[in-house]
Amino acid sequence: MLAVLKKEFKTYFITPVGYIFMGLFLLIAGITFVTGNVFSMSEDYANGTLSGLILVFVLAIPLLTMRIYTEEQRQKTEQLLMTAPIPTWQVVLGKFLAASLLFGMTLLVTVIFPILLSFHGRMEWPVIIGSYIGFFLLGCAFTSIGVFVSSLTDSQASAAIITLFLVLITWMIDFISGYMPQSNLSGIIFALVLALFLGLMVYNSSRNLTVSGLVLLAGLLVTGAILLINKEVFTSLITKSLNWFSLTSRFYNFPRGILKLSDLVYYLSFCGFFIYLTSRKIEKKRWS
Amino acid sequence: MIKAENLTKSYGRHLAVDNISFSIEKGEVIGFLGPNGAGKSTTMNMMCGCLAPSEGRITINGIDIMDEPEETRKYVGYLPEQPPLYFEMTVTEYLKFVGELKRVPKKQIKEDIDRIVNLVKIADVKDRLIRNLSKGYKQRVGIAQALMGNPPILVLDEPSVGLDPKQIIEIRNLINELKKDHTLIISSHILPEISAVCDRVLIINKGNIVASDTPENLSKRLTGSNKVYLRIKGEESAVRDALSSVAGAEHISVSPCQEEEALDVTVEAEGDEDIREKVFFALSGGKLPLLQMRPMEMSLEDIFLNLTTVEENA
Ligand SMILES: Nc1ncnc2c1ncn2[C@@H]1O[C@H](COP(=O)(O)OP(=O)(O)OP(=O)(O)O)[C@@H](O)[C@H]1O
Ligand SMILES: [Mg+2]
Repeated sequence: MLAVLKKEFKTYFITPVGYIFMGLFLLIAGITFVTGNVFSMSEDYANGTLSGLILVFVLAIPLLTMRIYTEEQRQKTEQLLMTAPIPTWQVVLGKFLAASLLFGMTLLVTVIFPILLSFHGRMEWPVIIGSYIGFFLLGCAFTSIGVFVSSLTDSQASAAIITLFLVLITWMIDFISGYMPQSNLSGIIFALVLALFLGLMVYNSSRNLTVSGLVLLAGLLVTGAILLINKEVFTSLITKSLNWFSLTSRFYNFPRGILKLSDLVYYLSFCGFFIYLTSRKIEKKRWS
Repeated sequence: MIKAENLTKSYGRHLAVDNISFSIEKGEVIGFLGPNGAGKSTTMNMMCGCLAPSEGRITINGIDIMDEPEETRKYVGYLPEQPPLYFEMTVTEYLKFVGELKRVPKKQIKEDIDRIVNLVKIADVKDRLIRNLSKGYKQRVGIAQALMGNPPILVLDEPSVGLDPKQIIEIRNLINELKKDHTLIISSHILPEISAVCDRVLIINKGNIVASDTPENLSKRLTGSNKVYLRIKGEESAVRDALSSVAGAEHISVSPCQEEEALDVTVEAEGDEDIREKVFFALSGGKLPLLQMRPMEMSLEDIFLNLTTVEENA
């Protein structure tokens, strides 16, 4: 795992990608800092600069992850990794950590800005530290999406575009969720669709009709049971689910200085889930 | 050491390897021979754990490679059909990475690199970017990669493809060197290479093993030593007359040759009889000068074509 991490990290600086990412990120961070904090004489760093930066890494993360698996496929180096005496998930983890490390390092450089600000006013350090942690976790979650997407294709461009698209969607879930229908009926339909989707996914990975049928049935039964016991659950279920799923809505907890364990667990399991998906995807090639 | 039992691989509907079994002893050098698309690379990929068999199993030292992939992969060094090279690294960086990936202890990585770089003769390019190496050198770096960690089994998929004749000989020497302390499995289209280095040849066609024997036995099995090649000066009819008087001579075929007024003739004898003396006297009796005579052994090329075309007719 460490070998892969080291190799990926080095590659960022052999190819220009690492420099471009750092340069782009720091440049825009600098601009937001100057306009958001310096010109406006604001000391509210967390809300001024950091929140504005989310958009930047929505745009920049695909840059970090687009080549991470596509290149292995294109250069046929995949076989080297697939015949190495280490499990696939460790290879994936190594790649993920390399991207996160680069991202984390770049983020660390921007700590200069609040330090500069602190000469001119009282800083709310807990808030800022909270923001940074949240920021890092959010970036890791986006990275894990990117790593997964790059394992799906052997073209860097499509990997970048699809990642950008997915990251944008997760980012916009907040806006979308407010406009979702709130009625009980829509909630029930949503639950049914979810059950159907789950059944299909199980079928897709296991090709076992009975098992997926049972999953679907279980989904229907649970929905029915909840309908009988407590109808209220279905009220604005879509919005609630989307909000729970939303990466960014959780992010806004951190600047408030609230480091909730559940949020931390959420982000980490999000990454874990995508690392798992990626390993599955790669393992599946052996069975093609 | 390696055992494949009822190995089958199908890509969707397409059957690439069809129920083949073989076993390879420690220290053996095995050649996989077969036309394009025969299933050589697919078989090798399965042996190295890159592909999972659709059916059947492969064991290394008695351990099923699907049960303990991480353990069994340690024993195998693999050069895939396309050497898995990171073009943006230098040769040393690359070999170091491969060593770390294979979990070779740090100290041994350094020793391995020094040893291997000299063995495969890439010492003079070891600080150059892989991107800038010639095809032959890239191929050698690929072999070097397989050697990292000194695995007892080496699987080389067409190690000399695309190399010039001089380099092919060098690779052959290298393989003879590696033979001393490795079990080797090599696939190739270049038949002399296989017969020069292998103890045993598996001829694969359309996913099946059509023959498995030593190179010498294979050629004996297919011809026996009863075919004689002759070059004779004279008219075709006179030659035919003289030869047909030889008792036991059958299947006389005559073709023109590049020497003037001469003919290339092959004569096949019935059974195992040696007809060379009789042929000589018959020709001298007919005043037909004999320019050349040698018993014909089928080359591996002939065997190869023979077996694979026979298969085709079936
Ligand atoms: N990934 C794949 N998907 C579908 N079919 C494949 C795949 N890889 C190989 N095949 C098919 O399987 C068969 C065996 O291929 P394989 O590469 O093992 O042949 P080979 O003996 O190595 O040939 P060559 O001498 O050309 O290297 C071929 O018919 C090929 O088209
Ligand atoms: Mg091949």
